[in-house]
Amino acid sequence: MQYREAVNDALATAMRADEDVFLMGEDIAEMGGSMGVTQGLFEEFGAERVRNTPISEMAIVGAGIGAAMQGMRPVVEIMYEDFLTLSLEQIVNQAAKHRYMSGGQLKVPLTIRTQGGAGWSPGAQHAQQLEAWLIHVPGLKVVFASSPADARGLLWSSIYDDNPVIFFEHRLLYPIKEDVPEKLEPIPLGKARVVREGTDVTVIATGPLVHRALAAAEEAEADGISVEIVDPRTLQPLDEETLVESVKKTSRAVVAHEAVTRMGFGAEVAAVLQEKAFDWLDAPIERVGAKFAPLAFAPAMEQFIIPQPADVLAAVKKTLARS
Amino acid sequence: MSVEVKLPRLGQGMESGTIVKWLKSEGDRVEKGEPLYEVDTDKATQEVEAEASGVLLAIAVASGEVPVGETIAVIGQPGEEAVVSATPPEAEAERAPAAEAERAPAAEAERAPAAEAERAPAAEAERAPAKQEVTFRAVVNGAREKVTGGRVKASPLARRIARERGVELGELSGTGPDGRIVADDVERAEAAPPPDQAPVTAPGELESVPLTNIRRTIARRLTEAWQVPVFQLTVSVEMTHANALIEHSRELNPDVRVTITDLLARVCARALVRHPEVNVQFTEEALLRFPSANVGIAVAAPQGLVVPVIHGADRLSLAEIAARRDELVGRARESSLQRADLDGGTFTISNLGMFGVEQFSAVLNPPQAAILAVGATVERPVAREGEVVVRPMLTVTLTVDHRAVDGAPAADFLRTVKTFLEDPALAL
Amino acid sequence: MAKVEKKRSLSEERLRDFLREMLLIRRFEEKVEERYRAGDLPGFLHVAIGQEAAEVGVCAAMDDGDVFGSTHRAHGHTLARGTHPNALMAELYGKLEGCSHGYGGSMHLYDVERGNLGANAVVGGGIPSLVGAGLAFKLRDEPRVAVAFFGDGATNTGTFHESLNLAQLWKTKTLFVCENNEWAESTPGWQHSPVWDDMSKRALAYDMHAIKVDGQDVERVYAAASEALDHVRSGGGPVFLDLETYRMHGHYIGDAQVYRSKEDRDEAAERDPIVRLREKLELSSEDWEALEEEVHEIVEAAVEFAKNGTDPQPEDALKNVYA
Repeated sequence: MQYREAVNDALATAMRADEDVFLMGEDIAEMGGSMGVTQGLFEEFGAERVRNTPISEMAIVGAGIGAAMQGMRPVVEIMYEDFLTLSLEQIVNQAAKHRYMSGGQLKVPLTIRTQGGAGWSPGAQHAQQLEAWLIHVPGLKVVFASSPADARGLLWSSIYDDNPVIFFEHRLLYPIKEDVPEKLEPIPLGKARVVREGTDVTVIATGPLVHRALAAAEEAEADGISVEIVDPRTLQPLDEETLVESVKKTSRAVVAHEAVTRMGFGAEVAAVLQEKAFDWLDAPIERVGAKFAPLAFAPAMEQFIIPQPADVLAAVKKTLARS
Repeated sequence: MSVEVKLPRLGQGMESGTIVKWLKSEGDRVEKGEPLYEVDTDKATQEVEAEASGVLLAIAVASGEVPVGETIAVIGQPGEEAVVSATPPEAEAERAPAAEAERAPAAEAERAPAAEAERAPAAEAERAPAKQEVTFRAVVNGAREKVTGGRVKASPLARRIARERGVELGELSGTGPDGRIVADDVERAEAAPPPDQAPVTAPGELESVPLTNIRRTIARRLTEAWQVPVFQLTVSVEMTHANALIEHSRELNPDVRVTITDLLARVCARALVRHPEVNVQFTEEALLRFPSANVGIAVAAPQGLVVPVIHGADRLSLAEIAARRDELVGRARESSLQRADLDGGTFTISNLGMFGVEQFSAVLNPPQAAILAVGATVERPVAREGEVVVRPMLTVTLTVDHRAVDGAPAADFLRTVKTFLEDPALAL
Repeated sequence: MAKVEKKRSLSEERLRDFLREMLLIRRFEEKVEERYRAGDLPGFLHVAIGQEAAEVGVCAAMDDGDVFGSTHRAHGHTLARGTHPNALMAELYGKLEGCSHGYGGSMHLYDVERGNLGANAVVGGGIPSLVGAGLAFKLRDEPRVAVAFFGDGATNTGTFHESLNLAQLWKTKTLFVCENNEWAESTPGWQHSPVWDDMSKRALAYDMHAIKVDGQDVERVYAAASEALDHVRSGGGPVFLDLETYRMHGHYIGDAQVYRSKEDRDEAAERDPIVRLREKLELSSEDWEALEEEVHEIVEAAVEFAKNGTDPQPEDALKNVYA
């Protein structure tokens, strides 16, 4: 099953089981979504439950919040994660805080799906990775699956979580195929997955960097370096236990994500690791991410900015460096 | 009844205002709601209305900056005395509410929280040093790595391994970036120690045993303790009844083998509760008094002397104390004592009686103020009512930190211990 | 656009209830100002003095299952929809017995049992979720209405426009109530809106049914609100209710209103809705005194209740972040 099909399957399965689940977003109905993720859903569930919206990110998210507070489980789509910025007021000031400000009287079981991703010359306003902004806000949960099975199981759990969940997808991951179980298997939020076992260094990676880390690990193997790769999958709440356990085993850590390195999710992970595994670290923690610039259009420049498998390999080697 | 006009909080964050102009003079009639004066805040100059009707008896502040809540005028009935409390609200909070002629409803609310706020931090400050003391000592008591000369560059992992294995980092060279010592370097060094670390053994003669961390720690702490001004008190105790009690307890609880140490722990704990001036610790800032007796038992563990603590011994029964002592000694022998087992002691008992030692003085266990050294129980001739009889006698010596406890209270405490031991029913 | 011509004649008893309600709000707000100035209340507060008729009129017309969201100036709506003055005062004092259990304060008053989905400190921030609630009621075919209260200032925000657009498009069961008090903080209507003198024109842009009414006449407001609510409840689509009212005091307590001429403030005082209703009912001075006394007792009791309330434990701050 492809990643995009996995997302579609999770949505369809939830909507079949539960009348309270419905979708809102731009071009999600007849068109099946600008990325083709919601194909077939309009035909099966109709216009009441698969609702095309005007270009109104604030209202889309806000309406989702309102319906969620009334006990429904809306899944709204923000077409490009760059456009999350338009709805941030509703996400950060409203969705994240209703439960708290009411002293526990309300819950907001809203799921916001969005996607980003560089590598196809989309230009600076169509390829950002902003998960760090949302992790920073108490009251929100953040999920970023890197594989079809994970996407399917985690989206289901996100829909059924009673808190606002931002579910990040990635453009380049949509066509990735993998064998998945017959029936949808829910994956709990807050649990990481060890993608590859190893003994010399732990690479904690998200989204497309999980796959680039795998490529780097193959190369490293040839040099006699055994790389362990762990995908947190849920960024908030973070499965610190699994990450720390891995680093205690290997004594070395690299964090890798496509988002800009500075103030990225990797910085938080590095802080947690040095806090909880200080005496196990044999080298400073390395971070791999996009360089500090908006995304250029020309392919040569774009490729320079985004983190490549070679960057992951270099970081791995740095942790094992000898003078 | 006259009313104090106080500067109101006209906006969020306003701490003070500047009185610019009075719109009424002393002696003028004022109606509630009439503009009374003008005040300058951060944002604007504005008129403030009178909150009461009457005569403006007195203007306390004609102009200038005034903190919010301060009295600036008094309104009342003609001929009334204008009573103005001159001190600002914070100072008011400290005075006990005296009989005041004027009504000041706002001041009540201000006074209470301010006074409480004062009390709370003081109480906190008192508790803090004791906690800090223990934490600091916990850090200091933990094994430390040695740094020779300047700063040694080593990864946290390398440092930990070096610490655990007693390897000197300063003597290693690192293969990590910039000469950083990494875990590998320490592990290789361990496997082949440099020549001067190997024990020098000429046949049958001098052996140089490297200091373990625990030996180092004992040396350091007891050197500290040695510098404390102490005195010792010795007393002989007739153990007839105590021995009988122990026999009896063993019969009642065959699986918990009660010992003299257990009885001593219980007795000393009860005595400490009765003489709280001995259950103390001296610090530069204050004498810390403990509410319960946590009695430490000196144990010869394979790695050296350790003192596990029976917490709250004053509230435990003899059988409970025995069980706990058994558990702790067991763990000490297996080197598996936890931090919690070793922390928090307020008094220590050191018993060398099983070696036949008749009497000895123990060194204080810092930061505790007293330690009881217990010898062997020996059948001895003693005088009772003019006759010479043979009784089982125990000699105990109390070493006391004179900075914390004086001779008389210490002697009183020791007398209680003796009394309890000679007549255990009093202590149980 | 309809102007309400016919008066739904209300019984004298009902009108007296309204007067009592309005007077309670007035005296409550005055007490809050007094307590604030004395330094009792943390944070900052916005009182609704002058707007009581607008608020009581609409709130009285609402049904028990209806929900609403309010603005930073929320004490009036909260009291008018049945939250006990004790609970409201306790919230202003930051006590656990407060309607938001101390977590929200003046600008985040919630009382979900009474349909109060939250006062909102972000101008326009609460409106989209009331579109969402109205959508949920429509999807589930419930005879309930989501009422969004906001001021003239909010009619310029993106959330307002996106919300009206979406609500009208999808015919959600949402009632938009604009309390046009002619001031957005210190900015007068003519300085912030091209249609300031006839706010109902905002609805015109969205082809939405609008009703305009004198917000200082509680009877008229009640009639207009009833009509509007019926229309929305029966699925006729959203309605924009434009209430022309006056803000008698400053934007927040302590606002010297240097930006407002004395004449303007005096004029506002002349349109005092309580004075109007009292004169209309021709209340005797004994009856008026009795009413004042009754209200005075309730307000004093509320302050006592609040002062004796329970302070939350500091660690309580970490509760209610997630459901």
